[in-house]
Amino acid sequence: MDLITGLLTTAFLAGGVLALAAIGEVLAERVGVVNLGVEGLMAMGALTGIAAVTATHSPVLGFLAALAVGAIFGAVFAFATVMVKANQVLCGLALTLMGTGLAQTIGRSYSGMPAVATFEPIAIPLLSGIPIIGKAFFSQNILIYLIYLILPIGLSYLMFFTRHGMNMRAVGENPAAADAAGISVNKIRFMYVTAGAALAGGAGAYLTLAFVPSWSDGVIAGRGWIAVALVIFAGYRPGMAALSGLLFGLITALGFVGQARGWPIAPAFLSMLPYLGTLGFIIVPVIAWQKMRRAMAAPAALGEPYYRNVR
Amino acid sequence: MAFRVQRLPSSTPMIAFAARVIAVVLALLVTALILAVSGHDPVDLAGQVFSSSLLDSFGLQDLGVIFIPLMLTGLSVAVAQQIGAWNIGAEGQFYAGAFAATAIGLFVPAPEWLGLILMVIGGFAAGAIWILVPTLAKAYADVSELISTLLLNFVAALMVYYVATGPWHDRMTNSATPKVKAEIPEFWGAIHWGFPIAILFAIVLALVLSNTKWGYEVRLSGSNPSAAKYAGIPVRRHLITVMLLSGAIAGFAGMLEVAGTVHRLQGGISNNYGYIGIMVAVLARGSLVGVIFAGAFMAFIQNSGIILQTEGLTTSAVLAMTGLILFLTAIGEELSYYRITRDKV
Amino acid sequence: MNQHLVGAVSSRAGQPSEVASAHSNESPSGQQRMQDEIPAAAPSPGTPPRVYLKGISKYFPGVIANENVDIEVLPGEIHALLGENGAGKSTLMNILTGIYQPDAGEIIIDGYAKQFASPVQAIAAGIGMVHQHFKLVQAFTVAENIHLGWEETPKRTSAAVLEARTAELAKTFNLQVKPGARVSDLSTGEQQRVEILRVLSRNAKILILDEPTAVLTPAEARELFRALRDFVSHGNSVIFISHKLDEVLEISDRISILRQGRKIATEKAADCDPRMLAKLMVGRDIVLDDMRGRAANAKPMSTEPVLKVTGLSALGDNGLPALHGLDFSLRAGEILGIAGVAGNGQRELSQVLTGVRPASTGEIVLAGKAMTGLKAGEFAAAGMGHIPEDRLHSGLAPAMSITINAVMREYGRPPVAKGGFFSREAAGKLAREIAGAADVAIPDFAMPIRNLSGGNQQRLVARREMRIAERILVAAYPSRGLDVGAINTMLRYIVELRDAGAGVILISEELEELLNLSDRIAVLYEGRIMGILDNDNLDIDEIGLMMGGRAHIGAGEAA
Repeated sequence: MDLITGLLTTAFLAGGVLALAAIGEVLAERVGVVNLGVEGLMAMGALTGIAAVTATHSPVLGFLAALAVGAIFGAVFAFATVMVKANQVLCGLALTLMGTGLAQTIGRSYSGMPAVATFEPIAIPLLSGIPIIGKAFFSQNILIYLIYLILPIGLSYLMFFTRHGMNMRAVGENPAAADAAGISVNKIRFMYVTAGAALAGGAGAYLTLAFVPSWSDGVIAGRGWIAVALVIFAGYRPGMAALSGLLFGLITALGFVGQARGWPIAPAFLSMLPYLGTLGFIIVPVIAWQKMRRAMAAPAALGEPYYRNVR
Repeated sequence: MAFRVQRLPSSTPMIAFAARVIAVVLALLVTALILAVSGHDPVDLAGQVFSSSLLDSFGLQDLGVIFIPLMLTGLSVAVAQQIGAWNIGAEGQFYAGAFAATAIGLFVPAPEWLGLILMVIGGFAAGAIWILVPTLAKAYADVSELISTLLLNFVAALMVYYVATGPWHDRMTNSATPKVKAEIPEFWGAIHWGFPIAILFAIVLALVLSNTKWGYEVRLSGSNPSAAKYAGIPVRRHLITVMLLSGAIAGFAGMLEVAGTVHRLQGGISNNYGYIGIMVAVLARGSLVGVIFAGAFMAFIQNSGIILQTEGLTTSAVLAMTGLILFLTAIGEELSYYRITRDKV
Repeated sequence: MNQHLVGAVSSRAGQPSEVASAHSNESPSGQQRMQDEIPAAAPSPGTPPRVYLKGISKYFPGVIANENVDIEVLPGEIHALLGENGAGKSTLMNILTGIYQPDAGEIIIDGYAKQFASPVQAIAAGIGMVHQHFKLVQAFTVAENIHLGWEETPKRTSAAVLEARTAELAKTFNLQVKPGARVSDLSTGEQQRVEILRVLSRNAKILILDEPTAVLTPAEARELFRALRDFVSHGNSVIFISHKLDEVLEISDRISILRQGRKIATEKAADCDPRMLAKLMVGRDIVLDDMRGRAANAKPMSTEPVLKVTGLSALGDNGLPALHGLDFSLRAGEILGIAGVAGNGQRELSQVLTGVRPASTGEIVLAGKAMTGLKAGEFAAAGMGHIPEDRLHSGLAPAMSITINAVMREYGRPPVAKGGFFSREAAGKLAREIAGAADVAIPDFAMPIRNLSGGNQQRLVARREMRIAERILVAAYPSRGLDVGAINTMLRYIVELRDAGAGVILISEELEELLNLSDRIAVLYEGRIMGILDNDNLDIDEIGLMMGGRAHIGAGEAA
């Protein structure tokens, strides 16, 4: 019983990083922009979170600061890819290198320092007392509810039940048609790429303010890339992105439990699980779920810059 | 009289080159500015870097030692680009090659010359094996190689870290394997024979691509797969061959690092060479011979980072600067398609 | 970010023409009365034109797309815009609809000067356009497409609400659409209806149609014409873009002709005939020849077929059957025309016949050799040339040099191939030879082939394919995207090849072209051959019916 409770609780906690970053990437990819800079954005967000919380002792301010830094870097990336229309793959890789390098350079003075204040679990009376699942669902930090409930539901509503959401999806599917219908392609792309990057920054701060919680050079450890991969697996849907994050949280939690219980597997191999799992998750669906392909397909204009006045 | 900005369907090599030079200069200026703001004297630092890396024989040797893996990972990425694939996993293939070479060097009893040959084969094979799954997934299920190659970097790094600190560790160091006996002989000072071999490798590959039937088919497949299919070219077979070759080259780079430079396996042996290799290939704009020059330039940048460590700067700062160069290069590449013309109205 | 306005556009906004409101067409009854009294093409004097394009100019890299174009479109008028490909029709309409901004000139709607910074502003001014390449989101439903970017779409909504609204609109405008269907599942004709409904639902008073009949059967086209007549009878206006002379004469009240970006003339349709329009359009007399006659030294048609196709089926890109059991044969020295509305299996047919796409069942026998299961390379080696329909995507590598593209068919044989080696010298020589035969002047063979004009690309591809087409040439839409002069050249190439004794399969959407060249014509509809007709004393209406899916009475008896 304790095992399942522990697994679930840790899965929610560990999956939150991936879920938040993946939801952010869904926003960017839905408007047609691949942002491979998530890893770097998360590094900057993680460091910003620690730095801000050290200065203010408020995890909320730390999280907000990380959102802001993510948005600033995201706006620079969006300027290059949406306005200038530079190659999205290269700009994303560059953003990863810049963010990682910059965070590590600035972060040396914070290295190994635990966060002075973190997001603490809040037990909801009564509900948190439910056996097995109570702790996992109702005694979590506040961000968990943001990541698994508010954002997926809110964004799904926005994307699939509003006029604006329809416009947004059209921009990723066929920017020329959206443009002809009077939708400002560049504005929508810029907005959502920036917003997605802000969430990536927030995911970094979540790591250092709620999950790990301290800063070290390799703290992101490829989570940004896993988040990008999860978006494919999640069929570009915010709700599915959150669930995929949770699934990976479960894999991570299994690794933790394994280490804690002294399973006869080297920790290094347990640490490999998420990467190998992700690889499997982007390959298997393509082969196994042929019929789902259309519903889960990538936006048709993903990765393509939109030129209006050129023929 | 008015000026008009127009985007043309293609850029010229001259303008693309100029755009890269401008991007690099801008990135260096921004870096200098940041250094100046953070209390360093950029002119003084630049002087130090130049005198200790270019005007000094030992400095030049250090440069050469970094050049070998960088040029080869750059070549690896550029080779994959010929067939239209992004190999973001050169880092992992580098680790795999280093891993295989060390395994052979430590555990296969053989005379040194034979050991070296086996290590070379092992390095090539391990690199190719490391990219095999992403290659097949791309060829048969159309799974983007961008993320699949990248994910395996983390697996490779963990694996090497595990054996270097675990089962294979040297009792003296605890963080690395014992010394591998077989060594690549020195070519000049600290620079081993991998240096001329790597350069020769790039030139031979470039010649093969431009002067053989196979090379023609590969280039056509990479540029437009449906046109290649129309011309009766087996696109999928070439894709698989070229991606495996790309992995093998990065694996070879890892093998050279073990057998020529470090002589043992340790965690982090790849030093981001795989990622910086992407930068090398982008600067070279897909030209295999260009990789030699771009590799030399990036080796200089990396070496500067090492020199500046004595000034309290880290290699991370160089990583950030590499990212900035890449970012500005990507923008410069796009802008090189534009022309400003004057109206004759 | 890459365009600047050239020259100041003087604004006349806010200065209504004195009689602008006198003939407001907001009251249908009054309008109807006016319609009865005077011909649609000539509203009462003093009525401002619905659209007045004044001195419009637009430039692209190395191209004058439009220069100093003046056009007036009156209320109640169907105004045709006639011109060759590249004459500037689409650019001009993109300016009127706010997609492009003019480099010079004014747009005056109902007497008010307007500047459209974006398509929304044009739509708000009552201008709606049905593009030749539909601006539909393929992954969206019909209802979503109708409501895309529309301010009357409820801010909060759902699929059910949008579909109900769409059904309502379809009823109002008497256009049948399936609100819940995904657009990618619809035929081109159905997609066009969605486009038209979308435009009409935004209260368009000026409807622009860009080559609307290219995707329609003759019957569907007639239905469209009736709808357009109905639309203008309420005082609205239609701008009808086409390069088909007969059609323009049939539907329009007045015709403006564009040539090389400039307006050449505006004439009443009643005063025009096809010959004069063609001359205005091209700038010289052209004669559409019957090219079926053989030259004296031409090789005669063989008695045995060089190509025999039996029970041929194939899947489309979507994995669904696109060709169903085709049977036909082709003799050496014969031209077999394939008629039909684009999208009825032509692309798949040309690909299967040349080995680019595998057949799911059936046999292809080329000169006695079974080709089933072989790849494109082996088809080419057996003497099969192929001019693909989308040359830039499947016949060329646009980013690569002209030399690389020119030798695409012969790189594997001597002299370009020497053992496993690729002779760059021989490749350069071959490229110059092909360019010479195609009569294309090329300053630098190392430059990317995408820098060449579409016409020159097409000529190079044609010449390249003719060199290897010793037995058969499959030409898919060889004249698409070319101007009349270039089309004549292209068709002469095909005749030349036929006279040299090769069989030709000519896929085209231009009936006229097929009638002028083919010895026999097969009609393709939904992946089936509706019949194969000998090309003498053909009944065009018969072909039209077959294009719409009616089987030929004597189907099956074909040679």
